[in-house]
Amino acid sequence: MTASRAWRVRPRLRPRELGLLIVVAATLFCGWVSLASTEAGELALGEPVVLLVYLGLLALLHFSFVLAGRRMDEVLLPAVGLLGGLSLLLMARLPQGLVVQSFAGRELGLGPLQLLWLSVALVLLGTLAIVVRSDGWLRYYKYSWAAAGVALLLMVFVLGEETNGARLSVSLGPLTGQPSELLKIILVVFLAGYLADNRPLLARTSTNLGPIALPPVPYLLPMVAMWGIALSIVIVQRDLGAALLFFSVFLSLLYIATQRVSFVILGVLLFLAGGAVLYNLFDHVQDRVDIWLDPFADAQDTGFQLVRALYAFGRGGILGTGLGAGLPSVGNNLAIPLLHTDFAFASLAEELGLLGGLAILALYLVIAQRGLRIAASAADDFRGLLAAGLTLVIVIQAAIIIGGNAKLVPLTGITLPFVSYGGSSLIANAIIVGLLLALSDQGVEPPPPRRASRRERASDRARQIGGRIEEALS
Amino acid sequence: MDGFTLTLWVLRLAFLALIYLFLFFLARALWRDLRASAASAVRSLGRLVVLVSPEGQPPEGASIPLDAVNTLGRDVNNSIVVEDQFASSEHAVLTFRGRAWYVEDRGSTNGTWLNGEAVGSAAPLGFGDEIQVGQVRFRLDRPLTESA
Repeated sequence: MTASRAWRVRPRLRPRELGLLIVVAATLFCGWVSLASTEAGELALGEPVVLLVYLGLLALLHFSFVLAGRRMDEVLLPAVGLLGGLSLLLMARLPQGLVVQSFAGRELGLGPLQLLWLSVALVLLGTLAIVVRSDGWLRYYKYSWAAAGVALLLMVFVLGEETNGARLSVSLGPLTGQPSELLKIILVVFLAGYLADNRPLLARTSTNLGPIALPPVPYLLPMVAMWGIALSIVIVQRDLGAALLFFSVFLSLLYIATQRVSFVILGVLLFLAGGAVLYNLFDHVQDRVDIWLDPFADAQDTGFQLVRALYAFGRGGILGTGLGAGLPSVGNNLAIPLLHTDFAFASLAEELGLLGGLAILALYLVIAQRGLRIAASAADDFRGLLAAGLTLVIVIQAAIIIGGNAKLVPLTGITLPFVSYGGSSLIANAIIVGLLLALSDQGVEPPPPRRASRRERASDRARQIGGRIEEALS
Repeated sequence: MDGFTLTLWVLRLAFLALIYLFLFFLARALWRDLRASAASAVRSLGRLVVLVSPEGQPPEGASIPLDAVNTLGRDVNNSIVVEDQFASSEHAVLTFRGRAWYVEDRGSTNGTWLNGEAVGSAAPLGFGDEIQVGQVRFRLDRPLTESA
């Protein structure tokens, strides 16, 4: 957008979003009172400032969207807002000393810290949704983004510090972050660009391997490279969750772009083969699978986490124990180790019961539906693939960790989007939703016309010369 | 059961009920949205935008809605008539087969080109791809839908 063009501000009311946000506010307020009363033993409000700040931020976002006047999706913000609010309710009731960081001389406990990260994330979400008007900065620099992603990955390999048995965190000065959270966005940007450009070539079959039709061999290389990256993440970083997430998102996007089931089958076979080899070579992979198959075999040690999570689901029953009345903490110890990050779903399911757990699943389904709708009505392949990929990152991540909590799939340590404690995760997911909102605007700049390839231009010229010769001869 | 415990349970159940009320509103919003977009959906499967047309038939910039089978060529019986000296009378056919578009050359003199490569038997193509028939260049685009 050129600087000379005036920024047209024509407010556009968003009644649906406003209505939904009011219900979210009422819900969270009710939950807050229920939590504070349970903790105090009498009707109480606790410290409503935390909740009010959060609700105020949601309202601020809504009104800035109204002022920005874009035709954006009106359902995503309330859905994400409720998930973030549930996270705030959970973090406020856990032992506050679990995570302590000091900012400007003030020590902040778990609840206020999560509020701080949620605020940063929401502001980022709103800024992206309002400011991003063109996708050129993502579309044209896909290889630069890929290079940045690989650099990030190498940085983790070299500088990474171990947290909970996985090399995830990187400290830069006072800041500590988990780059794999950003990596997943970069991966989607690169894949969307690559697949949108090479889609017709990938969909063409030239090699046949028995019943499986393969694309031309050079175009298979990125697929093999992705597989290698996923495996190296497992080996070097010991981060099974990220590897699983990256590979699932990659296969889904490949399927969306080419509509070929054979690629998915091939990818799953590759994954199974890699998984089998890793299972036999590496202890931490073997441990995870063994715990999943029978957590009670070593219930006091390796299986402890999962056994406790299963007990939590059981204690919750259908209606739950009520906020604040569950057993996530015994004294100052967590009943489930890592409850605030990996097992957020188990503890919410304990306090809100089967009904609450199903409601959380439904919220992720709503995000999936909105995101895929945005993808389906996108103006061109790049935007469609980008929107679909970003949506899938959130939904697949939620599915992997919820499945892990419930002993449906082997447990892998990744966060539950918008609910788990953690700055990197919240910010990465906020970037995703911000981009989705920006992509959902029907009035954005139309995608640029396809640039003719060099070969195409050459053949054009050749044909024109041929035409002239033909004319001269006839 | 004393009054406080009762109040607490009412609060807890109200919290769950409100979450489900929210989900109900969400579901209603999504349902209305889907209905609205289904009502405004255009029957066309895609459209062909004319990028370059030196002889003006079809006119440059035109957007032609497509059916499941579209024939291109100089003959007047084609569904898309291409008046171009380098186009054959029965030049190419563009078909939608279930879930993907295919373009096929019908033995034309100068060939049909997809993104700069000659098309032999049916070649798959997607939205955004360019087809050349004679000197006329088309781009396959998504069907227009009303924004919901």
